[in-house]
Amino acid sequence: MWNFDDIQQKALQEIDACRDLDEAEALRVKYLGRKGLLPEIFASLSQASPEEKPLIGKGANQLRARITEALEGIKKRVQEETFDPTQRIDVTLPGVAPVLGHKHILTQIIDDICQIFVGLGFVVQEGPEMETEFHNFSALNIPVDHPSRDAFDTFYLESKDPGNPGRHLLLRSHTSPGQICIMEKYAPPLAVVIPGKVYRPDAVDASHSFMFYQIEGLLVDEHVKFSDLKGLLTVFCKRFFGEEIIMRFRPHFFPFTEPSAEVDISCYICKGKGCSVCGRKGWLEILGCGMVNPKVFSAVNYPKGKYTGLAFGLGVERMAMLKYGIHDIRIFFENDNRFLNQF
Amino acid sequence: MKISIKWLKDYVSFQLPAEKLAHKLTMAGLEVEKIEDAGDDVILEMEVTPNRPDCLNFQGIARELSAVLDKPLKLPKVKKLLYPKTRCDIEIADQKDCGRYIGTVLEPVQVKASPDWIGTRLSALGGRLINNVVDITNFCLLETGQPLHAFDYDKLIGGKIVVRRAKAGEKIVTLDGVERALDPSVLVIADAQRPVAIAGIMGGLATEVTNQTRKILLESAYFDPVLIRRASRLLGLKSDSSYRFERGVDFATVEAGAARAVSLILTEAGGGVVARRDVNPGRVRAQGKSVTVSLMEINELLGSELTVAKCRTILKKLNFRVSAGGPGVLKVVAPSVRADIKDPVDVIEEIARVVGYDNLPLTLPLVRAQNVPPQPEYPFAHKLRDIFIGQGYNETVSYSLLSQGSLDKSGLSGLPVVRVKNPLSLDQEVMRPSLFPSLLGIVRSNIHRGQKDNKIFEIGKIYLGQAEYKMLAVMGSGTRDKDWRALHNRAWDFYDLKGALDQMFARLGLTAVVYEACEDPFFKKGTGASIRAGKTALGRVGEVDRGLLQQWDIKHRAVFYAQCDFEALYKLASKKPSFKKFSEFPGVTRDISLAVKEDVSFQKVKEVILKQGGALLEDVAFLEEYRGEKIQPGYKGFIFSIVYRSSLKTLTEEDISIAHGDIAQALIDQLGVVMR
Ligand SMILES: [Zn+2]
Repeated sequence: MWNFDDIQQKALQEIDACRDLDEAEALRVKYLGRKGLLPEIFASLSQASPEEKPLIGKGANQLRARITEALEGIKKRVQEETFDPTQRIDVTLPGVAPVLGHKHILTQIIDDICQIFVGLGFVVQEGPEMETEFHNFSALNIPVDHPSRDAFDTFYLESKDPGNPGRHLLLRSHTSPGQICIMEKYAPPLAVVIPGKVYRPDAVDASHSFMFYQIEGLLVDEHVKFSDLKGLLTVFCKRFFGEEIIMRFRPHFFPFTEPSAEVDISCYICKGKGCSVCGRKGWLEILGCGMVNPKVFSAVNYPKGKYTGLAFGLGVERMAMLKYGIHDIRIFFENDNRFLNQF
Repeated sequence: MKISIKWLKDYVSFQLPAEKLAHKLTMAGLEVEKIEDAGDDVILEMEVTPNRPDCLNFQGIARELSAVLDKPLKLPKVKKLLYPKTRCDIEIADQKDCGRYIGTVLEPVQVKASPDWIGTRLSALGGRLINNVVDITNFCLLETGQPLHAFDYDKLIGGKIVVRRAKAGEKIVTLDGVERALDPSVLVIADAQRPVAIAGIMGGLATEVTNQTRKILLESAYFDPVLIRRASRLLGLKSDSSYRFERGVDFATVEAGAARAVSLILTEAGGGVVARRDVNPGRVRAQGKSVTVSLMEINELLGSELTVAKCRTILKKLNFRVSAGGPGVLKVVAPSVRADIKDPVDVIEEIARVVGYDNLPLTLPLVRAQNVPPQPEYPFAHKLRDIFIGQGYNETVSYSLLSQGSLDKSGLSGLPVVRVKNPLSLDQEVMRPSLFPSLLGIVRSNIHRGQKDNKIFEIGKIYLGQAEYKMLAVMGSGTRDKDWRALHNRAWDFYDLKGALDQMFARLGLTAVVYEACEDPFFKKGTGASIRAGKTALGRVGEVDRGLLQQWDIKHRAVFYAQCDFEALYKLASKKPSFKKFSEFPGVTRDISLAVKEDVSFQKVKEVILKQGGALLEDVAFLEEYRGEKIQPGYKGFIFSIVYRSSLKTLTEEDISIAHGDIAQALIDQLGVVMR
């Protein structure tokens, strides 16, 4: 038979004498561990007489509870006694992290827009920036004497156009020649978005730049309709600007589309009442679009009358300026760190 | 173009408030940019698209409005005049320059102030009143769209009009009092001796109609639009006339405009027509083109369900002649002012416009599977961006056009650059043959604005010969990322940039990338390296030459630059190595400390270790480079940490000692290395 009182008294004395956590752990092993005293007591139950069994069981359980409790108590006390206040850290000091860079806002806007169309089944393609007069003008039904062909409105290069003797290459003045590149290479059905840089000899000021980005879109198939153009661009505008946006399609003119339209969205500043941002109109012009002019299809030798198509083009800087309230187009190309770090 | 609502009501009646009217016009394609209150009148400022020169006048806008509002058009009645047989002397040098010229001579006219009804209309639009004759020409221009000019007939030398190109050296003082030098690209109206007007743009002061004028010659003509546009640009001179001629006036309106002006002059200034001549050398007759369009085509293209009757009504309101061309087919002839109507789609657009785009249905397109492949470089470019952004670099977007000066300052003078023929400024002379000047310019402007730590990259095109190539460029300057726990922030250097590149190569799965020292014009001597993978040249990296930096006005600062060929990266990255099974047995790490001759490169030492280590060597890490007292002169200390591991068994102490010893021996034998 075990003398539980003696055992308990001795154990508690030992525990009380602990000075650190290691000593406490050693005592835990001694009494409660797998090869410790308590397992030994429980093991003795199998040899005990029926009268002794309940006494031993009860005594052992009480002993375990007291020792466990005493160990917990001493651990807490030891921790308190041994804590060095200088080890307390200032948890309010700033964290240290590797610096992350920023994608340029124009890259982000281009990708946001392209991904909306990719989700609708379009693919992203890029075209060359140094183009021929044929791609940039003639194939797009822009006549030979059209003002946009003047050196006032288009940058010409000293490089000669290998396919058109006597003519020079130029810097594309819009992304629309990308439509021609695609249609010369592929037969319908096709649905592409073409982002890229375009160039115009405009004097630089807050709203003009001699280089800027456009995104062109083109969908050609049998039975593409003007109502599809309206539907597609409505989906796009709602995804890009938000569901609550109000839009309108307004007749306009582009040589390479007919009917042509411009899309306006309700001014986000004044909600349509008219303010300085929208020029008191309540509307902001955001993109040009239309049904592909059959003359464009004949320029790329598509069979007459077989296909219809829709096309649209938008200015990336303008979208960014509208979305983020930027008022000077030059800031995109200055690349000041304080600008880049904001997006 | 500005229009007065009060004046507009002369030609079509409506009761709409200005805002509603502006909305109707805008939604019909005549965008109203501004609405201005002007007392009892409202002025609308409209943007007329270049295909609609017929709307650059009140009658044209009224015609549109009558269709949109379904109100009748009220045009002024012009009495048919009987002209005398006497012809005035008009000569056209080249009918390509001037397709039609009607000269009407009137006398005796009484030149005085305009009557109120003309004066108030012109003043409402901000026009300056001159005298009744001149004001009537301006009034008719705004009413009919036909530019007109009145000469003081008695001042025309020889009483003669010659439409010809200016001779070299000829000059004219225009009505605005400015003397202008002319050349043969400019079409002029001359008398027997000298130019008396710049055709289609502005009259001359010498033949101006004044209060003393008694006899006038009224000009109504058609001039070549391109010629007028170019002359107007060349002379830097624009007018209401040139604006309309540039966009094209109608052959028929040449006559109608003249008739209206003559009848007004007769009423307001008196006199009679004493001579007249209509020179129409090409015998061009104004007529709209006939177009056939079916209802099916209309509804197919618009996605609409319009009826023949509806389409017919719309077109008739626009003054189109419509006849049936069979069941469901319309034969349409546009009025001659609508030179833009040539094809079925043009007619369909007219119908869509008047119905209103907002009233047409809205559907979602069927986007089918297609042959056009997505451009794979597009997502790859984003992957590269993510790699550099993850390492703290900001992406930049810069101009593709540069000045020759910025190339010269960068040691990039001799390249086959693409030049711009018509730059607006010196900053746009050449297409950039390298991203280096663009990035250095950005770093410079940031430094000059007090931002000394710059880590930037750009994925952009360079242009050489006839071709465009995409490049990746990276530049850095300043200190490493700030950490308040460190006493000093170490300066950012070559190895920081190289490390960023190595991260990229590792992420792209390029394992065999080699750096070799090389000289390069924009790198400081002894710091440049070329980068290649196998035989493929990938790019270059180095510290920018200090002299070069000084030319860019960057002083006391180290700048590091790297560039890689985007296409080469893309091609190599798409050949990703296949998965390597890793060993289940424990690895053992042993350090090796060497004294290496100064002229032996790290790369050589590493190659010997890798080759000798063979299959048991899993990894070699470089721990330290040391120079100082503890090492003999002419030597540098290298410490490597080598991990040994077998894929077949747990290595014994003996296995490792042999392998480690073999490496040491190979280094001693092959590179004269001394063990430390
Ligand atoms: Zn607004």
